[in-house]
Amino acid sequence: MSDDHGDDRSIAQRVTAIESLLVEKGLITSDVVDAVVETYERDVGPLNGAKVVARAWVDEAYRGRLLDDGTQAIGELGFGGAEGEHLVVLENTPAVHNVVVCTLCSCYPWPVLGLPPRWYKSFAYRARMVREPRAVLAEFGTALDDDVEVRVWDSSAEVRYMVLPLRPDGADGLSADELVPLVTRDHMIGVVR
Amino acid sequence: MGGMHGFGPVIRDPSERALDEPTFHESWEARTFGLAVATSAKGLRTGSSRPAIERIEPATYLASSYYGRWAQGVEAALVAGGTLTSEEIDLRAATVERRPTRSQATDPKLAAAIRGFLNRPVPTSGEPVAAAFDVGDRVTVRRMAPIGHHRCPRYVRGVTGTVERNNGGWPHPDADEPEAVYRVRFDMRDLWGDDAEPGALYIDLWERYLS
Repeated sequence: MSDDHGDDRSIAQRVTAIESLLVEKGLITSDVVDAVVETYERDVGPLNGAKVVARAWVDEAYRGRLLDDGTQAIGELGFGGAEGEHLVVLENTPAVHNVVVCTLCSCYPWPVLGLPPRWYKSFAYRARMVREPRAVLAEFGTALDDDVEVRVWDSSAEVRYMVLPLRPDGADGLSADELVPLVTRDHMIGVVR
Repeated sequence: MGGMHGFGPVIRDPSERALDEPTFHESWEARTFGLAVATSAKGLRTGSSRPAIERIEPATYLASSYYGRWAQGVEAALVAGGTLTSEEIDLRAATVERRPTRSQATDPKLAAAIRGFLNRPVPTSGEPVAAAFDVGDRVTVRRMAPIGHHRCPRYVRGVTGTVERNNGGWPHPDADEPEAVYRVRFDMRDLWGDDAEPGALYIDLWERYLS
């Protein structure tokens, strides 16, 4: 795939050299680098966003607050931080489908979705989602009726976007905890409906 | 990247479909990301790594992996900040073991501060600033060819859209003072021509980019 590169071995050596030099000079300590890595390997990922979505599906007042001020309502559940200073939640409806991309780099709402998957950062996704969203969505297995309006959100400034997907049919009566496993990262980026 | 042709389909491997996909696929990717945040917190480099990534020569940029670009950006920013020299990195890379040297010393206070910075709600919002445009105004993105870091993709330049929301004032990467940022809606046909897919494109743009 296009994100595989032969030069990565030498880059890996340079990164290892840089960290070693910084440690040997006493400029950084290893536990600080570990803390960053562990935060996203262990504590922060799309499960956070799934909890936000599930809560919005069962709690109408929360849903209202979430759409009105995403940062604040997501903070109610304890989620927030770097790359989530200004969160906006986009609601899918039967008539509207939202999907998020970052054409300039890889802007992504870290506190609710963790770090972005490789395909989100691929040149193909960045180049094509703004120009032919229906074609790209079809590659993800998402076919939309012609009367559904597609809204593409290019994250370029300070706002980070997350999609509130449609609640699945047949999920009536399920609790928020039972709904969480039904929500995937793909729903919250908007590549599936 | 927006609108460029020729990259083919969006490819993902099966592991990338699940919520529990590994965050990093190689250990050096994890260390690169950790170093980017840690060296910034310690003030060891000048500026953010993003402008440094965008200064990578285009052919090299396209030939590099995502974290490969981050690694190049972190290295360039550390060298620019006077923390390391390219020569000492060259020398160390030629002899380095597979794993980096681990420090005996720890800095639990900084580690805890970084965990908080990454994973604790900090409700913020745009600051109230003077705004030249109102919701509903038609605005045209300025034609320009900025050198270096910017937040205005080429494909919207010269195109007219509608202000949908005022996001409040946020400092542009080139400035310290907050400046109005607007959510602008574009019709796909205005961006891509008469045979465009139907639909709309939304993007946040600083006031300096609009007329």
